[in-house]
Amino acid sequence: MPLHPKITGWFEHKGWSVRQHQLAVLEASAAGASALLIAPTGAGKTLAGFLPTLDDLAHHPRQGIHTLYISPLKALAVDVQRNLVTPIEEMGLGIKVETRTGDTPASRRQRQRIDPPNVLLTTPEQLALLLSHADAAHMFRHLKRIVLDELHAMVTSKRGELLALGLARLAMLAPTLRLTALSATVARPDLLRDWLAAPQPEAETRLLIGQGGASPDLAILTAEDAHVPWAGHSALWAIPKLYETIKQHRTTLLFVNTRSQAELLFQNLWAVNEDSIAIAMHHGSLAVEQRRRVEAAMAAGQLQAVVCTSTLDLGIDWGDVDLVVQIGAPKGSSRMLQRIGRANHRLDEPSKALFVPANRFEVLECEAALEAVAIRAQDSEDPVTGGLDVLAQHVLGMACSAPLEPLGFFEEVRRAWPYRDLDWQTFERVIDFVATGGYALRAYERYAKLRKTPEGLWRISNAQVAQQYRLNVGTIIEEPMVRVRLVKGRVRKAEDKGGATGPIGRFGRVLGEMEEYFFNSLSRGDTFLFGSEVVAFEGMFETEAYVSRSTAKDPKIPSYMGGRFPLSTYLAQGVRKLLSDPGHWSGLPEQVGDWLALQRDVSILPPADSMLVETFPRGDQNYLVCYPFEGRLAHQTLGMLLTRRLERARARPLGFVASDYSLAIWGLGDISAMIRTGRLSLDQLFDEDMLGDDLEDWLYESQLMRRTFRNCAIIAGLIERRHPGKEKTGRQITVSSDIIYDVLYEHEPDHILIQATRRDAARGLLDVERLGQALKRIRKHIVHKPLDRISPLAVPILLDIGKTPIFGEGRESAMADAAAELIREALGQT
Amino acid sequence: MNYARAALAADQNEATVLLNFAGHAFEPLPSGGLYWHAECTLLVADLHLEKFSSYARRGALLPPYDTGLTLKRLEADIARTGAERVIALGDSFHRDEGTTTLLDADRLRLMALLGKTHWTWVSGNHDPSPHGLGGVCVPVLEHRGLTLTHEPRRGVPGLVGGHLHPAAHVVSEGRSVRRPCFVHDGAVLVLPAYGSSTGSINILGPAFAGLFDLRALEVTMLGRGRVYPVSVRRLVGG
Repeated sequence: MPLHPKITGWFEHKGWSVRQHQLAVLEASAAGASALLIAPTGAGKTLAGFLPTLDDLAHHPRQGIHTLYISPLKALAVDVQRNLVTPIEEMGLGIKVETRTGDTPASRRQRQRIDPPNVLLTTPEQLALLLSHADAAHMFRHLKRIVLDELHAMVTSKRGELLALGLARLAMLAPTLRLTALSATVARPDLLRDWLAAPQPEAETRLLIGQGGASPDLAILTAEDAHVPWAGHSALWAIPKLYETIKQHRTTLLFVNTRSQAELLFQNLWAVNEDSIAIAMHHGSLAVEQRRRVEAAMAAGQLQAVVCTSTLDLGIDWGDVDLVVQIGAPKGSSRMLQRIGRANHRLDEPSKALFVPANRFEVLECEAALEAVAIRAQDSEDPVTGGLDVLAQHVLGMACSAPLEPLGFFEEVRRAWPYRDLDWQTFERVIDFVATGGYALRAYERYAKLRKTPEGLWRISNAQVAQQYRLNVGTIIEEPMVRVRLVKGRVRKAEDKGGATGPIGRFGRVLGEMEEYFFNSLSRGDTFLFGSEVVAFEGMFETEAYVSRSTAKDPKIPSYMGGRFPLSTYLAQGVRKLLSDPGHWSGLPEQVGDWLALQRDVSILPPADSMLVETFPRGDQNYLVCYPFEGRLAHQTLGMLLTRRLERARARPLGFVASDYSLAIWGLGDISAMIRTGRLSLDQLFDEDMLGDDLEDWLYESQLMRRTFRNCAIIAGLIERRHPGKEKTGRQITVSSDIIYDVLYEHEPDHILIQATRRDAARGLLDVERLGQALKRIRKHIVHKPLDRISPLAVPILLDIGKTPIFGEGRESAMADAAAELIREALGQT
Repeated sequence: MNYARAALAADQNEATVLLNFAGHAFEPLPSGGLYWHAECTLLVADLHLEKFSSYARRGALLPPYDTGLTLKRLEADIARTGAERVIALGDSFHRDEGTTTLLDADRLRLMALLGKTHWTWVSGNHDPSPHGLGGVCVPVLEHRGLTLTHEPRRGVPGLVGGHLHPAAHVVSEGRSVRRPCFVHDGAVLVLPAYGSSTGSINILGPAFAGLFDLRALEVTMLGRGRVYPVSVRRLVGG
């Protein structure tokens, strides 16, 4: 059937023609197939997703919901409404389009359930809420189409699991519906298609790959007289050149990896902004209204540069961006391709991008990224599978909608791709968890949330259960935040050093919010950067941190935590290859080439297919530095485990520090001598068996496990999510979830929530999976180089000591230090 | 100097640390119990038994194991010290009803302990009412010049209490640790909360304001398998 004349007329009026991939989506739809459209940004993807809806409704106008559009971003849903409603009006189609997000007024949300629009734009969380109501079956029974936007971004998190479960339910309610998903290019398109096809195995699901645009125009920033530093993340060396470059472009997007980097870069650019060009900042700590203002100014072409974090990775089409700059480690090729796609939405013109390494290792990483991006290498994460905490939430939600028939529901859940391998036993355990907590000790039968009816259906016990569910829905858990309040600093007298006993004024201005854990290791007087000024930490009371203005020029404590994303395996390989082969160094800045040449002369270059371990004395301590290039998270875990092993080997380790590239451990024992005399074997030290008992021992006391548990417990509904102005603060929840974890882990370590926590930790904050692969890779491939002094390659990581968090036997030894100080005091030595 | 000697002992990894208070010597245990050798008496505060189960009616089905774990700790401390008497300094149960919600296994365990030792339950704000589980229920206990009670207050020399769940937070060279602690100033001694379900409050926070003579403050933190008398100068808030 040809496109409706109103639509073809609109295209003609605009002087556009329907694009190839837009036609392909229309054809798939006409053939009754679902479709996954993979195309770069700016290819008219959104319109492609909606054309079948517009055409169908133009031919057959109707009441009620026809198409459900689901996006990961609230703001995106608003934006699409703008880009969709306008064409609909211009075509004169009379199609009703509405958004529904957490910000939608309750009255309108209520009305939308009774009188839904033709096209509803919403988020995975709102879908879960809609499905938990008794009228969901009625509301969605005639649903025709689902359009999933930015699918690649949703499937790698728990939101994707929740979404998949919701889609499985929708496919059951409306068996004739078809899905269209829009995605950026991913490493494994076939996997993404399977994900999409899973709810309806009987339907055809087409994989449509749109044409890539022109090859991007890429470069690494260099400056004749500048010196790329050994370590650090500020990229201060590049500021003058960067400023000049910004001035030569219409609109520049500057991506950084962390909020604190954004703050720092913004401050540094501002300091040289003699021409007063319009520069703005956009990141997650800023108030929503402020972010919206920046977005609006950007869209209106009023800004010449925006410093941003991953908050601008997705979404709004910026027509006028003509340069994308990546400051610091690129981390992954797919990520860079998506960021670069933010520039220049006209497909036939090349996007222009510039990499700015902040330190020498990052020069290597940028080189590897340049090569990877040029060949469009894809290293995006695969979709995640099987989170039992998310399943528990979904089970409760579906029970709220109607009593559950376990067999049919089990089959439905297995049609959600992340749960395709779920076994019946685990499914039953999840239901038992939702009903009574799932404890081996049956303590809560009389408080059960779900009860079995005589017909064998699981029904919620009372209406309060549904209320509780609706307050806790969703998988996004905010870190506990503390308010940062500016107060007058105390005069620091010599005898007052360290003891926090004096009064401080508590009535200053609130500067903003920051993650609670950052403050846990600060002492009074420590300075850090916040809201682009240097402040000094004064103390913390309940949920507020007090800071005073500092006269210090440089903050003592960098709040740089490396960002959430580890260096991808693909780029790591690229860096290893580049390092090991001097034939590839010609493109490197001279000082970086010199640095590597020096490493080759005084130590050895890390080989591409094995791992270099250097040991050397320094001061009165001994260092072990290894170079796995597996990302900071995996290195941290490795550091924790190696420290334990070295402790047992009596090498007396004191601490370690990890970067994306290497790991340095230091201690009192002479590790070189221990290896030489055979008292320590590196093959044994790095043996994979560390992922057995050593890992288990450490997990028990790991703060990272506790943080992961908290998230799982909230998602699974064991503890309640924080609600502003209501009961507990985030801080108190952290404390109590730690206690719950301790009690549960000690008594029932194989409880379903501990199981879920362990799995999340393995691929999340601990990255055990990646560490396991690395240990396998380097087994019997360790090259040891004992040195009598530090090597050039080890300099960056040693410079990080004192700048990034240090780990080790730390916690307990901090008390030992304080005890030792007490002795010195008592003996009159201080 | 006794305190310093105790600290020296701790530094040499000896198991025993002694805490001298109001003319008596006590051994602070890593579990949070305080053993009074001369009286063969184990002092514990804030057991908060049956805390997790008390949330069940509000829809939070927390692990029903906190009571069992706390009792297990008590069993171990009694066995290790050979205590003949136990004094629980209030908030032994999270709510008065806790005495009736004990699971069978926990009840048997508690009965066994009550049969083995002379038990005194001092009442607390969470469990003000006397009960008939066994042992003696009293509002407050005077013994050998000490006032053993739940809520600490100034002006009663030799007061030993709980209620506040004290914790200390020390920071040293970028490392940070926050743990429950014993704290006293020679006049008032506050025990850490003993129960497995209990949280803790920083002794520098407003909850402790005005309670101690800060110049005479002595703090002993609970570590893994040992306790640490720590320098007050290292304490931070939060």
